[in-house]
Amino acid sequence: MGVLSILIFLPLVATLLILVLPLSAKATFKYIALGFTFLQFGLSLYLYGNFDASLGGIHQLEAYQYVEQLAWIRMDLGAIGKLEIDYLVGVDGISLPLIVLSTLVMLMGVGASWNTEKSPKGYFALLMVLNTAVMGIFSALDFFLFYVFYEVMLLPLYFLIGIWGGERREYAAIKFFIYTLLGSVLMLLVIVGLYFSVINPTTGAHTFNMLHMMNPANYVDGSFFAYIANYHEVFGIPARLIGFIVLFFAFAIKVPIVPLHTWLPDAHVEAPTPVSIILAGILLKIGGYGIIRVCYSIFPDIAAATNWWLALIGVVSILYGALNALAQKDLKRMIAYSSVSHMGFVLLGIASLTAEGISGAMFQMISHGFLSAALFFLVGVLYDRVHDRYIYNFRGLASLTPKYTAYVAIAFFASLGLPGFSAFIGEAFVIIGAFNAESMATGVPRWMAIGGSLGILLSAVYLLWTLQRMFFGQVRLKGGLAWQEALTDLNTREQLILFPALALALLLGIMPSLIFGNLNASVLQLIDLINPYL
Amino acid sequence: MNTFLHISPVTASILVTLLPLFACLAQALIGKKSISGNIALVAIIASTGISLFGVFLPIWNETTTLQKWAWFTIGEYTLEVGILLNNLTALMQLLVCIISLPVHIYSRAYMKSDEGIHRYWMYLSLFCFAMLGLTVSLNLLQLYIFWELVGFASYLLIGFWFTKETAVQANKKAFLVNRIGDIGFLIGIALVYAHCGTLDLSVLFNQTGTQIAIDKNATWVTFAGLAFFLGAMAKSAQFPLHVWLPDAMEGPTSVSSLIHAATMVAAGIFLLCTVFPLFNDTVLLVVCIIGTLTALSAAIFALGQHDIKKILAFSTISQLGFMMVGVGIGAWDAAMFHLTTHAFFKCLLFLCAGAVIHEMTHLKAKAKLDIDPQDLRHLGGLRHFMPKTFICMVVASLSLAGFPFTSGYLSKDSIVITAYEWANHLRGVYVLIPILLTIVSLLTAFYIGRLIFKTFFGDFKYRSYIDEGIIFHEAPSLMLVPMFFLAAGSLFPLFGISLTDYHSAWIMLTLDAGTNYPILAQAHLFIPILLTGGAILSWFMGWRWYVKQKYPLSENNRFVHFAYKQGYLNEFNEHIFVRGTTGLSRILYTFDRYVVDGFTKFFSWLVRQLSVVAYWFDKHIVDGIVNLLAGTMYYIGHLVRHVQNGQLQTYLGFALTIVVLGLLYLIIK
Repeated sequence: MGVLSILIFLPLVATLLILVLPLSAKATFKYIALGFTFLQFGLSLYLYGNFDASLGGIHQLEAYQYVEQLAWIRMDLGAIGKLEIDYLVGVDGISLPLIVLSTLVMLMGVGASWNTEKSPKGYFALLMVLNTAVMGIFSALDFFLFYVFYEVMLLPLYFLIGIWGGERREYAAIKFFIYTLLGSVLMLLVIVGLYFSVINPTTGAHTFNMLHMMNPANYVDGSFFAYIANYHEVFGIPARLIGFIVLFFAFAIKVPIVPLHTWLPDAHVEAPTPVSIILAGILLKIGGYGIIRVCYSIFPDIAAATNWWLALIGVVSILYGALNALAQKDLKRMIAYSSVSHMGFVLLGIASLTAEGISGAMFQMISHGFLSAALFFLVGVLYDRVHDRYIYNFRGLASLTPKYTAYVAIAFFASLGLPGFSAFIGEAFVIIGAFNAESMATGVPRWMAIGGSLGILLSAVYLLWTLQRMFFGQVRLKGGLAWQEALTDLNTREQLILFPALALALLLGIMPSLIFGNLNASVLQLIDLINPYL
Repeated sequence: MNTFLHISPVTASILVTLLPLFACLAQALIGKKSISGNIALVAIIASTGISLFGVFLPIWNETTTLQKWAWFTIGEYTLEVGILLNNLTALMQLLVCIISLPVHIYSRAYMKSDEGIHRYWMYLSLFCFAMLGLTVSLNLLQLYIFWELVGFASYLLIGFWFTKETAVQANKKAFLVNRIGDIGFLIGIALVYAHCGTLDLSVLFNQTGTQIAIDKNATWVTFAGLAFFLGAMAKSAQFPLHVWLPDAMEGPTSVSSLIHAATMVAAGIFLLCTVFPLFNDTVLLVVCIIGTLTALSAAIFALGQHDIKKILAFSTISQLGFMMVGVGIGAWDAAMFHLTTHAFFKCLLFLCAGAVIHEMTHLKAKAKLDIDPQDLRHLGGLRHFMPKTFICMVVASLSLAGFPFTSGYLSKDSIVITAYEWANHLRGVYVLIPILLTIVSLLTAFYIGRLIFKTFFGDFKYRSYIDEGIIFHEAPSLMLVPMFFLAAGSLFPLFGISLTDYHSAWIMLTLDAGTNYPILAQAHLFIPILLTGGAILSWFMGWRWYVKQKYPLSENNRFVHFAYKQGYLNEFNEHIFVRGTTGLSRILYTFDRYVVDGFTKFFSWLVRQLSVVAYWFDKHIVDGIVNLLAGTMYYIGHLVRHVQNGQLQTYLGFALTIVVLGLLYLIIK
């Protein structure tokens, strides 16, 4: 069993442990979860440290690292051929940073769940199942395996929101579940279509191997998704385009793009703090990852043809999300909308098809991962104390809780792209990449880059306005003295969770090479893959 | 002095930059206990010393020195950061140090016993770090980073008294307006990167020999130039992005003097001087026009203000407009010269104003008055109580007005005269620009005269309190010493031995932008005479108006009100941009809730309705058919059931009926 498999299935062991322990031992559940996630975090750091940065990955299996390949399902289907599903996992420069991010955010999530009173057994067991699914998604290289993990991920999330959530939790949970399922069900159709279009060159059987799907030579001539000599059309739209659109739709719901984003504010507002952290910190990144790993790598020809539209969606998401964030009166909803805006940068960067843009998008994903986690955690801190997060109910918090204010201010400034913090590198290079797209003739016009840069301005507007309204000025709270007493400053546990996230934002802002170093080869490889179709 | 302590100028420059950062970090770690400011002070003293001996003296008039290090690689491009030391950057770094040092000393007295003093020193050190880093950046992105950090430090310092509503409104406004400029700067960077493939200033602008050919007539060069100018407009408070600077006066006065008068706001000018080779004629003309407009509008607004700091703020804006014109006419050396002299006298003006405000605040607190200590209408006759402050302020004012023997005389003349030469060279309507500048110079003399007269002459309204024993005295020596130092720097000897010839000022000699407009000898003679004579005339007028109380205008004069309200620009912005954006955001949120999410809800409703229909269909049609069949069977069975009732006669009757029917059938067949 390879180290990557250990990383994936370690949380499952934790789940089993939690499940077999009697309820009387419920105080230990959080320690078990913490211990295992901590172990996982250490393991992912080890992987990251030993990663060979010169290998690109993307569509070459030999350039993937920590690869494990086992025959999983082999079935003779007679006339159709042999069913060939592998347990194939491996990482490249695109997936590994996201794995490290996920383990870190999980750790923050477990830390944020420390005071969970309501049936901790189920809660931590589900959290660990979710953890396994996420790791699996980022490492799976077999599309079937990927799909399995993708679906497994939905189940714990549904219950985590639906049981441990806020007032309208059922509504939010089902909205989230149905929305995501809608995407993934359609994705299944394309997976099957791809399966029948692609042959494993060594065995001659149809395959779910994603890397085989990225090689035009493996496509059967005349098959549904064939590269050349493809006459298949659905409603007059070429088959490959439709395949791309369906897959993009599935991942775009996750990102989320405008107008498929409405599940996000509801899910965030109703979800408990740790689930919000995981939703924003990890789940949204699965969307961006899927677009790069699946949509762009398997359909590079369509990627090159559609990037104008994708960039447009990105710009619309940036501006629309930011303006919506500006209109919010609920702090958590505001941050949820700011996520939509910040993830729009990811899409714009990816669609620019320049090395700067894609690297910037990846960097933005990492940076947004732990920054949004920190932001949601900070909202949770406030909500824990007074059970309110309506912006206008607070004023002058800086005088009451100076430490909390300092953390919020740092997190806000980091999110609005202050240089020295990670978000700046991500956003600046997305903009630079989008500008460069015209010189590289990738088809993204400059006005989109300018539109995106307006998002940087707007993010400063809503974050600073919130800072001014809630934290500065004379103290005035809706709950009066009771609130004033309840609003204690951050405790050690809370600082212990926040400090690493913000320190990491600073560290990556000053030393972006920590990410770019392992990322560059893969990004260049991806661009090489798409370039011939431009 | 090529080897100061045996360290290279580059290393020295890094030290200069990093020392305040260390001070900032140290103070952050010590927290509330670091109230003395010693750490910050030591850091800035060391920085100043190293900057003068280790950087400025070895570099000035010598060759350009630079050193770069790879920061990170993105794709195939390796971003290199480094230190670029040439005449321009070494001068700027030294200037920042030399202005920061007196302000630090001054702050010890001025900010003493403030509750948040530990934050003050931390922020001030952070600002110094960012500003010093900005001056010597080699890479445009590196410059941008420091550029934004400077804005961030300014945000923290404007909002230093964060419980004051106006202060937190002002710092938000300052940061957001600056962000508009930052976006311009970023777009400029992106354009340069997309077309030249590098952001390294030394490679871009021929500091080392390998120059990238930039076709100046290309459209992108115009756009890039305008984008950089947008960045400079926000930072250097050019019309109409100047609106943040008057509000920024909500910060401590020492901060206003350092950041919002002498150094940070000059960063925009510095940026334009740095990327000057990129500008083509179109961009330069725009710079000129905006600069003139700024100089004029700010001077007019300054006339109508009552707040002593706001007058100085508008004066700063107006002078920055002069510098912009300097850049626009190609004489960026003159712009830098004016930047340098302006730094001294404007910093001094603020420090003097701070001394006055300091005393007034004490008076207010002691006498329990409800007055605004910064309001000119409450001041008067202070020269009797604060003679040294008075002298310092007069020196600074003379320099601002461009009176002979002061440094301002040299630098302002250099811009105005070059502007005349420039306009003479181009002919036509261009001559409007120097004419407007001349008018602005006269307005400058008038408004600063007004400030002096209203503050130091006439009668002091609250004299009775002082007579009652409330102490109102000269500023402490910790505040006076920095003021004297700056006053000395506001006079001509610091910049050259010649009283009148700005060409022989050492800054002009070395920077030399190489403007080659035909020299107008008579301009060199008449313009200084005109400006000086006009200034004296305006002071005479001001004396009559404000000291002799022969004010000719009514209180409700529309022009005075227009100037006081700053041309209603804030109201305009509030109505159009702020309300426009928040209104748009509300509309979009409504759209999001009812249309986008409504669509989701409609979809789910549709599915549910579909399921209702399907259920109805299932219940009534599908199951209906089944039930119908069963029902029919049942009914038939029901009918037949009556036969089986156990009565013999029925059976016989039934049999008979069947037989009859059978017979009938046979007959008919």
